Amino acid sequence: MATFTVGAPICTKPTTCSLKQAQGPSRLSSLRLISLPINSKNFPSLRSSKMPSRLQVFCAAKAETVSKVCEIVKKQLALPDDSEVTGESKFAALGADSLDTVEIVMGLEEEFGISVEEESAQSILTVQDAADLIEKLIEKK
Amino acid sequence: MNLLRRTVRIPMNTFCLHRTFAASALHLAPVQLPSRAESHLWYLVPDEVKSVSLLGQYSEILSPCENEYVACIRGEQLKKTALLARVLVRTTIARYQTDGYIDPRSLKFRKNIHGKPELEWDNDDSGSRPPVQFNISHTASLIACGVTNSSPIGVDIEKKDRKIQNNIISFARRYFTPNEVERLSSISDLNVQRQHFLKLWTLKEAYVKALGKGISALPFSTFTIKSRNFEKKELNGSGDSDPEITVESVDGQRSLLSNWQFTLLELAGTHFAAVCVARDGSMGDKCFTPKKLTVMKTIPFVGDESMSGTDAAIVCGF
Repeated sequence: MATFTVGAPICTKPTTCSLKQAQGPSRLSSLRLISLPINSKNFPSLRSSKMPSRLQVFCAAKAETVSKVCEIVKKQLALPDDSEVTGESKFAALGADSLDTVEIVMGLEEEFGISVEEESAQSILTVQDAADLIEKLIEKK
Repeated sequence: MNLLRRTVRIPMNTFCLHRTFAASALHLAPVQLPSRAESHLWYLVPDEVKSVSLLGQYSEILSPCENEYVACIRGEQLKKTALLARVLVRTTIARYQTDGYIDPRSLKFRKNIHGKPELEWDNDDSGSRPPVQFNISHTASLIACGVTNSSPIGVDIEKKDRKIQNNIISFARRYFTPNEVERLSSISDLNVQRQHFLKLWTLKEAYVKALGKGISALPFSTFTIKSRNFEKKELNGSGDSDPEITVESVDGQRSLLSNWQFTLLELAGTHFAAVCVARDGSMGDKCFTPKKLTVMKTIPFVGDESMSGTDAAIVCGF
């Protein structure tokens, strides 16, 4: 059953992701977090500057991907191994500046063999965002 | 002409003493708005702000939203930097009052479509609305805020000894222009190369920040930052020089690019700082008069020190 972020309007366009993997508790490890674009004019009364701009259907990205991203982030920001970095960690709150973020993205490109356009960098605010983007780009390959 | 109505010269090491600051004693010395031919660069060294009560007073200036954000940050040093950055912006802008006292708490900010912070004024603020443009940049050990009168401005700072995790030439090939890669590759000393990389990065960041765009909207591979000479000179009062640092578009469109003036500094002995300011529309290419940049070190509510012409603000070669 999908969980929706509160207040986020729902896009009527077909999604690009597959939910097949989401069925059955035994497949939990291969669930993927999907970000859907939102046509917010469907629900004008819910618009506010603080609203998240994506609808998050809750299927988690591979734990392995998130974990690798955390590793690369910790290395770039010289954080101790035991420091708490999770999918929800925001790069800015971890102390990453713009150069750190680009270095991290470059590290991810090399680790996963993908290419991330600079335009996408704006949407990478958390470790989870990076993991989602990686899996999306891997799928496209 | 005296820039500050009151320049307080206090030896900076006295700020390390614990002092109690009652709310009523907190006072922001007003500052005159720069002319259209000037820019101001304020900076703050977090390690010099040790007073617990002063930091507590600082928290009271922030909006509830800003305080919430600071509370979410893990790590005392990062929290402190986040707090001080917001305090520096609020207090600095509030000092440029043109029509009566501005409470730094009353200032409102929003972000443009690309995330650049801007001032937001209510309709009834028209009387006391100084035409201030600002941009901020910080590292763990320094916070800088550039201010102009009406001109878009971008500021970026990086620690001079910052290490780059990736291979510099690989990074440059991926994100910079061929011209810039060539220049970097021609530097044989790896440390000099690393420093040139950092200078280039701060200049490019300052440019996209001045434009209000950021790297996502204006990829660094679309424009080249070039220099005309390599001399190092101290920032002096007159500040006259040919434009040393220029920007060129990779696709050959040059029409708007002469509108931007760059200044590259070694700041506080520890950082590279790049400032990019839009030149006045009325100035043509032929009568280029560089805008004067005045550098001031500050601790809000405590004191300022002018750093122009000192070792703390050296115009550096590129």
